[in-house]
Amino acid sequence: MKASCESFDLAVIGGGSAGLAAAVTAARQGARTLLVERYGYLGGMGTASLVHSFCGLYLLRKEAGAVLANPGFSEEIASRMIAATGIGPKRMGRVDVLPQHPVEFVRIADEMTVAEAGLEVRLHSKVTDLQRSDEGWSLQIGGRCDRNQIFAARLIDASGDAVVAELLGGGAAMAESPVLQRPAYVFGVHCHAELDDAFKLQTAGMIVDGVKAGEIPQDAMGITFRASGRTGEVFASLDLTGGATVADFSPLDSVCLTQLELSGRRTATAVMRWLGTCSDLWRGSYISQWPVRAGIRESRRWIGESILTGEQVFAGERFSDEIALATWPMEFREDAKGPKLRFPLDDRPTGIPLGCLRPLGIDKLWVAGRCISADHAAQASIRVMGTCFATGEAAGRAALQ
Amino acid sequence: MEVSKQASPTPTELIDWLNDEGILELDWDFPEDGDLAGAGLDSMAVMQLVVAVEDRWGIELGPDDLTKANLATPISLASLIVKRTQ
Repeated sequence: MKASCESFDLAVIGGGSAGLAAAVTAARQGARTLLVERYGYLGGMGTASLVHSFCGLYLLRKEAGAVLANPGFSEEIASRMIAATGIGPKRMGRVDVLPQHPVEFVRIADEMTVAEAGLEVRLHSKVTDLQRSDEGWSLQIGGRCDRNQIFAARLIDASGDAVVAELLGGGAAMAESPVLQRPAYVFGVHCHAELDDAFKLQTAGMIVDGVKAGEIPQDAMGITFRASGRTGEVFASLDLTGGATVADFSPLDSVCLTQLELSGRRTATAVMRWLGTCSDLWRGSYISQWPVRAGIRESRRWIGESILTGEQVFAGERFSDEIALATWPMEFREDAKGPKLRFPLDDRPTGIPLGCLRPLGIDKLWVAGRCISADHAAQASIRVMGTCFATGEAAGRAALQ
Repeated sequence: MEVSKQASPTPTELIDWLNDEGILELDWDFPEDGDLAGAGLDSMAVMQLVVAVEDRWGIELGPDDLTKANLATPISLASLIVKRTQ
């Protein structure tokens, strides 16, 4: 380690929901913390990919009224978001979700990180190299034109893709396509008409007609529109195949990701053009915002001291070393037929053991967010932002102990 | 697989069919006048429904057929299909 290199108690890789929670939590405990984010703002799926609901914040229950599953950071984010949007939790089918606005999430993340004197955020940066020693981690953090040598005593991988495993040359696994969850593609739409249920159903019919007529791609089947809470603004969500078939898709391959972005924009453009010809209610509407990137639901994840399984989530198992509760039903999006939700027995929450945040056999490293140690089915529950806040917070705390 | 086009589903047959097609997951005792929207028949499921109805009964449901009233219950949906097959 060079004398000139900056030194931190903790470095967090990835500034999505898990990395944000981890870094803020650690800084609040007095750790000098570095948060490394590849884009120009924090929030990950909730900002760059325009995913506009916090799922997994609340317990599953039959009774009306949303009850937070994990106190602490999740609660703080939820109350800040409700204050910003004026919109509280909503029951959708059997689950409670908190509608969130990506623009507000960016600002909230800025305010929460700037408030912590011990936290340094490095945007437009990636880890380009790392080395492990007895003392900790030597990292090379690079922007487009700079390379900075950093030392961190501990490391949290909240990258969503287990990028630390890539740099170390192993330790992580990925479900084999075509089982991999299909990516989401969310875009903003300006629309004058009020998006009530009747209009949504009618629109579904227009989409089917458009696909049958060959005017819009098959990927458009299953598109949903949801009011953003702001006048005239709607979010549209697609599930993409990611290739000629789902089996061709790899979230770790930039050629694949390029095709994914292109197909998302192509489908979105065709859909909006078609709808404008179908109905006066859609005429004059337009795409107002592209996501920075498509929403990757599932990618490589760590193999940890514990591996949470789908059977455990289904049974609602609890553990003596659990650090948070997972409450979202296992949400499978493996095929074009739309989401399939598998609810746990009696709507039970599942404990997430600390061992899922501990990569097997690697000291001074923790993991948070969608790449914690879990099998494909359990990942379909723990990947949601509400749960990522909780695993992030837990990693931020555990890494300092 | 080639499925013979059949007419006139009863509401009960329709409930079984919605389950078999994976469009909805309805309890075995889901009532014929039960609330389909509450059971998850949202705009996404409706797209699957339209395609599956065409496969099974050979009829095309258009945007104007997809009203809340027509999609409200197994009874109203069955009667829409019966009407279109006649």
